[in-house]
Amino acid sequence: MIFAAGFIWLAAMAFGGAACAANFTASLDRDTITLGEQATLSLRFDGVQPQNAPALPAVAGVQFQYVGPSSSFSFINGQTSSSITYNYIVAPQHDGEFVIPGMRADVGGQRYSSSPLKLIVSKANAPAAGATNSGSEIAFMKLALPQNKIYAGQTLTAQLQIYLREDVQNIVNFQLPSAPADGFIIGKNAEGGRYRAQVGNRVYTVIPLRFALTATRTGMLTLGPFTANMILVLPSQNQGGDPFFGQFFNQGEQKQVSLATEKTSVESSPLPEQDKPANFSGAIGDFTMTASVGPTNLTVGDPVTVHVQISGRGALDAVTLPDQSALQDFKIFPPTAKTETTDQLGLEGRKTFEEIVTPQNAGVQEWPQFSFSFFNPEDGQYHTLTQPAVPLVVKAAGATPMPALAANKNSAPENQIPQDISPVKDSLGTLATKSFPLVTRPVFLAAQTVPVLAFIAAFIWRKRTDNLANNPRLRRQRAVAALMASGKADLKKYAAANQPDEFFVTLFRLLQERLGERLDCPASAITENVVEEHPVLRGVPKATLAALRELFQLCNQARYAPVRGTSELNSVVTQFEKTVAELQEVKA
Amino acid sequence: MKKLSIILFALVFAGNLFAVDAAADFSAANKLYAQGKFPDAAKAYETILATGAQSPALLFNDANAEFKSGRLGRAIAGYRRAALLAPRDPDIRANLAFVRNQVQGATGRERFWQNGFSTLTLNEGAVLTAVLFWLMCALLVARQLRPALAPKLKGITRIFAVLTACSASVLVWQTANHFSSATAVVTTDNATVRSGPFDDAQNAFTARDGAELSVLGRRDDWVQVTDGTGKSGWLPAKQVEVLPGA
Repeated sequence: MIFAAGFIWLAAMAFGGAACAANFTASLDRDTITLGEQATLSLRFDGVQPQNAPALPAVAGVQFQYVGPSSSFSFINGQTSSSITYNYIVAPQHDGEFVIPGMRADVGGQRYSSSPLKLIVSKANAPAAGATNSGSEIAFMKLALPQNKIYAGQTLTAQLQIYLREDVQNIVNFQLPSAPADGFIIGKNAEGGRYRAQVGNRVYTVIPLRFALTATRTGMLTLGPFTANMILVLPSQNQGGDPFFGQFFNQGEQKQVSLATEKTSVESSPLPEQDKPANFSGAIGDFTMTASVGPTNLTVGDPVTVHVQISGRGALDAVTLPDQSALQDFKIFPPTAKTETTDQLGLEGRKTFEEIVTPQNAGVQEWPQFSFSFFNPEDGQYHTLTQPAVPLVVKAAGATPMPALAANKNSAPENQIPQDISPVKDSLGTLATKSFPLVTRPVFLAAQTVPVLAFIAAFIWRKRTDNLANNPRLRRQRAVAALMASGKADLKKYAAANQPDEFFVTLFRLLQERLGERLDCPASAITENVVEEHPVLRGVPKATLAALRELFQLCNQARYAPVRGTSELNSVVTQFEKTVAELQEVKA
Repeated sequence: MKKLSIILFALVFAGNLFAVDAAADFSAANKLYAQGKFPDAAKAYETILATGAQSPALLFNDANAEFKSGRLGRAIAGYRRAALLAPRDPDIRANLAFVRNQVQGATGRERFWQNGFSTLTLNEGAVLTAVLFWLMCALLVARQLRPALAPKLKGITRIFAVLTACSASVLVWQTANHFSSATAVVTTDNATVRSGPFDDAQNAFTARDGAELSVLGRRDDWVQVTDGTGKSGWLPAKQVEVLPGA
């Protein structure tokens, strides 16, 4: 198969040039698109085969994405033709008119050029009502609001309805690039359950997308046009055959569309000043309140927990506890708040406050009633929920006698409530200038590396020491090296003092130690015979062996021969040093 | 050498003169305080502080004078600054607690573990951690140099390792708290916290003099704060004193 395809291509190359003239053309699949849609740019080469896909010129506001090549070959009435087309996706970034300049391509030493192309990109607009109602639109989008008059601060649920005609098989890559909402804050969103609706003479599937909108100011506020881009999967028109098999194998064709809603105006009114409660703090919605206070029998300074739960529908984030600054008899600690929502948009649920308060004197008889006010936009009125006062029994701090065993004479000052601040200090103390903390000073931080370095040094030393202790050969090498150093000095001393007996005894011992260490055998076992017999010394140069032998013989002769002079002994030292140095190369 | 001696002598002499002046000013401010001239005393203490010098006693006395002048926020800020230098001073702790009790509405209250972790100043914590670390390293070095002592030193080395780890953890918390969190103490009565960093922004809530709010951020002359209950907003920087730490 591959061979056949290669043959056809070679044939095309062989005959194509003669069959048809080479040509290069650039084309767009359409010259007008809506913002959000994509066009396809095709660069077609007839009769020639470029090595690579041509580079495209940069066009401001347009992105190109290379898709890939496609090639064709035809053989008709003896005439062959071949072409290769390079395809690109063209994605404009904004609306307007774009010009893709003419392109040049060098193929086989020939230069080809194409004509400039024009692409018009228009903004997405809502379809006309007539087109929508006739069912001619594949898809369209509507923005539905429950009301067109609201109050500033009110939160309402808007619905973006996407209508898809019944022949749309699927929707993919849904994007909402533009959602202008002047004067609104757009909150959470959630997709609702799909349903079917009859529009004109066609049936549409409606996808509702609900989202929360909160008005932030008064006046005429505008919403939209919201625009959405998506790819719709439609039944393929090119595939015929049996409809039964079509439903399994028809993959459909994709169509990119941009939808837009109409612009909608909403009138936002200020909250009425009439009958506005003094403690109103901005809560808008419809709420209920429950509260509990406990314990109710306590001592001055004991904590009392106040639970307040506000439930209902509205902007729960804006719900705050009523101002309690007038409660002079209580010390109030910062309350904690927890919001639990029960719907996907976060508009229904409950907010729970927990507050710790401590009565400051025994005269406190109740946790006073407190009220929470809110504005209900449904009836356009303020409502006030009131929690009745809770009686408290507060004893004086010292009223409860301590058990005898627990009483401590010295514990009184800490437990007593002070009546005033401690007096000023008489001594100025040590004055200091403001400075950076130690942890930010480089010197301090660098100093902390000293113990680490000391530990690392000690660790390395320990390892080396252990290594030496566990390696007797290395230990012996070092001991012999030290002995050689001191022995050479002794030899020179004995030579200078003309003491041949001590000289040759030392020399013999040094030779034994050095050879013993090199041959890894006891020094006492080293004699002149070792030089002749030991297998390790067979690789040593003959001159070195001869020198060794001579040194041993000198040592043996010294026991019987007359005393020698200093110069002769010095020459022996030189010979010894040279021989010992050569023995360094010997390895057992 | 002679020049160096003269310079050193001049520096020491100047330092002594500075200390003598500050001590005299401090005594004069204390006299004003004793005479009940608290605003004047506060000014006198602040004059010394403006020179760049500070001591726990100076900050403490200044905070006392501010409190007696009716400025709770400035007093709390002063006590908190003094506590940064002398966290174990019982007078500073007592006065801070006392003044916090006078503040209406939400006030700051350290948790027990925060109190424990703040027993040492940041520098004391750093020195303690460094000493423990050095001792631990010294023990480790001794174990390397004298392996025979290793079994005997094993237990104490572990104790020092644990102590060093604990101390370092507290130091990390202290450092993070010092550099990454800040508290704004409101120094004006009924400061209006706004929803944005500009004068026309909506009122978010009202903070009383002495309220201690967590700082979320800063922009120009505005400080973004939260009261810990979910309410947040912006306050002009001139209405708060911003202190390091939560």
